[in-house]
Amino acid sequence: MRCITRQSFLIGVAASVAAPRALAFGQAGAFHPRMLLTGAATWAGSRLRAPERWGWELVRRTSAPARAVCQTVRASDNRLLAEPFCVWAGEGEISPLTRRELRVLGRFIQLGGVMVVDDFEPRVGTFGRAARRELARVLPETLPVRLDPSHVLFKTFYMIERPVGRVLGVDHVDAIVRGNNAQVLFLAHDLLGALAQSEISEWVFETESPDPMFREQAARLAVNIGMYLLCSDYKDDQVHAPYLMRRRAAR
Amino acid sequence: MGLADVSWAFSEDLSGAWVWGALGLGVLSILLLALETARTERRRFLVLASGVLATALLLAAVLRPVAVSLRANSVGPKVVVLVDGSTRLLIPSDGKTRRARAIAAAKGIGSTFKDARVSVLEFGAGAPQALQGEGSSLSVESDLTAALSQLNSLAQEKPQAYVVVSDGRLSRPTFDDDLTRLKQLALGVPIHTVSIADVDPPDAAIRAVHAAGAAVAHQPLSLTIELGCSGGLKCNEIPVEIHELRYGMPKALLASGVAKLNQDSGKIELQVTLDRAGTRVVEVSIAAPPGDSLPENNSRVIAFTVTRDRIRLLHVAGRPTYDVRSLRMWLKSDASVDLVAFFILRSNEDDTRTTSNSELALIPFPVDELFTEHLPSFDAVVLQDLDAVAYHLAKHLPALARYVESGGGLIMVGGPTSFAGGRYAGTELERVLPVRLLSSEKPFDLEQFVPSYTDSGRAAPVLRGLRDLFGDALPEMPGANILGAPRENALVLWEHPRQKIGQTPMPVLALGEAGDGRSIALGVDGTHLLAFSEFADEGSGRGFGALWDGLLGWLMRDPRFEAARTELVGECSEGQPTTLMLTRLPSMQGDVTLTLERLGATQVEPIVQRIPNPPPGPLKIVLSDLKAGGYIAKAKIGSAPPTRYDFACERGGQAWSDSRVDPARLDRIAKITGGRAVTVSGLSSLPIPRPAEVAAERRVSALLPAWVWSLLAAVVLGAHWLLRRDSGLV
Repeated sequence: MRCITRQSFLIGVAASVAAPRALAFGQAGAFHPRMLLTGAATWAGSRLRAPERWGWELVRRTSAPARAVCQTVRASDNRLLAEPFCVWAGEGEISPLTRRELRVLGRFIQLGGVMVVDDFEPRVGTFGRAARRELARVLPETLPVRLDPSHVLFKTFYMIERPVGRVLGVDHVDAIVRGNNAQVLFLAHDLLGALAQSEISEWVFETESPDPMFREQAARLAVNIGMYLLCSDYKDDQVHAPYLMRRRAAR
Repeated sequence: MGLADVSWAFSEDLSGAWVWGALGLGVLSILLLALETARTERRRFLVLASGVLATALLLAAVLRPVAVSLRANSVGPKVVVLVDGSTRLLIPSDGKTRRARAIAAAKGIGSTFKDARVSVLEFGAGAPQALQGEGSSLSVESDLTAALSQLNSLAQEKPQAYVVVSDGRLSRPTFDDDLTRLKQLALGVPIHTVSIADVDPPDAAIRAVHAAGAAVAHQPLSLTIELGCSGGLKCNEIPVEIHELRYGMPKALLASGVAKLNQDSGKIELQVTLDRAGTRVVEVSIAAPPGDSLPENNSRVIAFTVTRDRIRLLHVAGRPTYDVRSLRMWLKSDASVDLVAFFILRSNEDDTRTTSNSELALIPFPVDELFTEHLPSFDAVVLQDLDAVAYHLAKHLPALARYVESGGGLIMVGGPTSFAGGRYAGTELERVLPVRLLSSEKPFDLEQFVPSYTDSGRAAPVLRGLRDLFGDALPEMPGANILGAPRENALVLWEHPRQKIGQTPMPVLALGEAGDGRSIALGVDGTHLLAFSEFADEGSGRGFGALWDGLLGWLMRDPRFEAARTELVGECSEGQPTTLMLTRLPSMQGDVTLTLERLGATQVEPIVQRIPNPPPGPLKIVLSDLKAGGYIAKAKIGSAPPTRYDFACERGGQAWSDSRVDPARLDRIAKITGGRAVTVSGLSSLPIPRPAEVAAERRVSALLPAWVWSLLAAVVLGAHWLLRRDSGLV
């Protein structure tokens, strides 16, 4: 199983490099954190390789496959509808979404897509607020709510007490929930900052705490988000309940 | 023939009003004349008498009286013989059947009522019909009340006597029924009865099987079995067993017990659990003591329609992907599905970066528990991209194959570790998949492709929902599992446009029957592209639900996804013609092939009937010479997947469940209707009704011609005039 997964991962690398849309068997359903771009924004800078690291963490820790080379996708491009996951990350103000961006993002959410909003500067919070403002235009009737600490997001793979990224940030995650699904997760922890590595595989940013477990907690959050995307509320199934209660009690 | 009464009447060309008008005028004239003659003394009586006579003659000239003579025929009395037409009369009795004795008795009645007009009919559940031969029967019922009611509704001569020939164990009136209703229906006609047997055969029997409520899959169902012993047979304790009849395998024991009989009757309550929904055929049997003369009623074969409150589904995935996500989210959104899911989230090689299990929200995959203890509780199992060896499923594959063959559903969904890639080739499970698996080094193909619909795929109701959304279009799939040729009786709905197995395109989606169960092979892992993709957006993401609704519905025999509905018309009795009614979906066209197979381990050559391109509308298919047991009727219409219908066939069935005779009931019927109850040997003592007289000739003749009446009236009137003048009244 492990060999197959690794093989698939490598095939995914090759396929992704050779032809962005030509995926190998077993890779079309692999975890793929696509970076969402709006307006004239581009994906560049120190966190460039963070999405690949996210996929790599998922592959090495879990049985889930992930795409090794991650793509960007524009909010105005119908290709946003090709896969059910994207990450909208950045800092500073965002220009208002165009009508086309609003329409495509609306279709993305309507189809059941999941989006993570990650603010690089959560202490300032400009990007996070702007993203909420623009998403309120996409889903005017659905306001973000605070996820309960017992939400399945915090137990999809690791038992997580609170969200952590490059910074400790707030102790909760806000989300836009439709039906039973948290479809837009608002992170105020710079998760990509914690995952970002340089070309020589060194961490680009120091975490708020020098404790190695701090970054590990961020990686675990990233893994849990990936597993939430792929398994939805699987860990809420009744069959898991007694196990998880015992483990919470043991901690 | 003889002369009957002669009566008088007025001419028949005058209506009643004219007659009464003329008579009234005549009477009035006479009264006036009487008043007038009261004024004179001279020849008073002569004037009055001549006036009355003249008036009478005038009336006679107008009304022209006639003589009517009737001649009548004397005919034999009408007697209706009603022979019990129940299957129950096929019970052997002294070397021949009760029915043979009844037919002989009916002939004897014809001899007894030599001068009578005897009609011999047999009665079953409804209207009586002409008596058939010894080997046939009309119905399992013998409803005398319905028979009389039907006869009364016919516009025909009322009989002068009914003669009922039966063993007395009628469906209606029952022994406890008030017979007043029967007496009313007889309309005053006496019902004589002829009892064809008066001794109970030595017999231990299942008298009745009652279910407490409806059968629901996985829920215990309480069955009450009523037993009886008659004819002097000693039965203190009778062992009872309940089995489920299954296709291609021995019957499965569901429950057993020992019934204690008190005064030759008793009952036992046993609980059974039927795990599969749909029609399930159950056999209830007893071990009768020695001396039992009628072994046929020692077992009952009963078809139960098992419903389910929810589909209990096991979804096992080897790794989480978008395909797994889409399927899970769709299954969870369906309130009719009780989903139990296990996803492999980590393998032993994965590095979770912790040594503490308490930091992980993971539980061991309970493969042994799931596929031994809990497997029968599921209606269907979905295996998605799961390596059978790596996750220790391989040792349970024989049990999983038996689960399918005994009625479970299985869907294997593609992925790198599905089918041959999951090391299922050559296993026991392979034999229940609709496709063969190839043990090659290349378990999957990486070439992107768009699956093509086959003719079966276009015709199959299972894909109708998807085709309604997208027509023949499908999303591009990122490769496919290498699947082998379809098995016999499997149908390929999607095929690969380029990959070949020999000379034929490689199957991508195939359906198949395996024993009592069904299985589906889906050799791609990209159906999530029907839920979320640019392609899916054209159908607002409903394509995935349309596909899986069809697949799961077909697997669970949802009538919406069957090409036709099959029903048994009446009941199936051994030796009697059995009629199946096939109702096709409006869009289903083409030749109809009905294949009839027996349930059980013993393979019997199936009965196949082909009906080339029948016209639209319900189709009746008559089957003959069926033996007792459980049957599967598979109806295939055109190239659509076959529809399966299970039914039970019995020898005797409920009609034979009580072999006792009941002459006392016949006595009561005869007594209350004024008839006489006799045995076969006493036919000559039946009272012969009086002959009936029927009008045959009617003659009408005038007393005198009208001109004679007129002449006489004129003469008398003239005389009257002369007398009036002589008496001074003019």
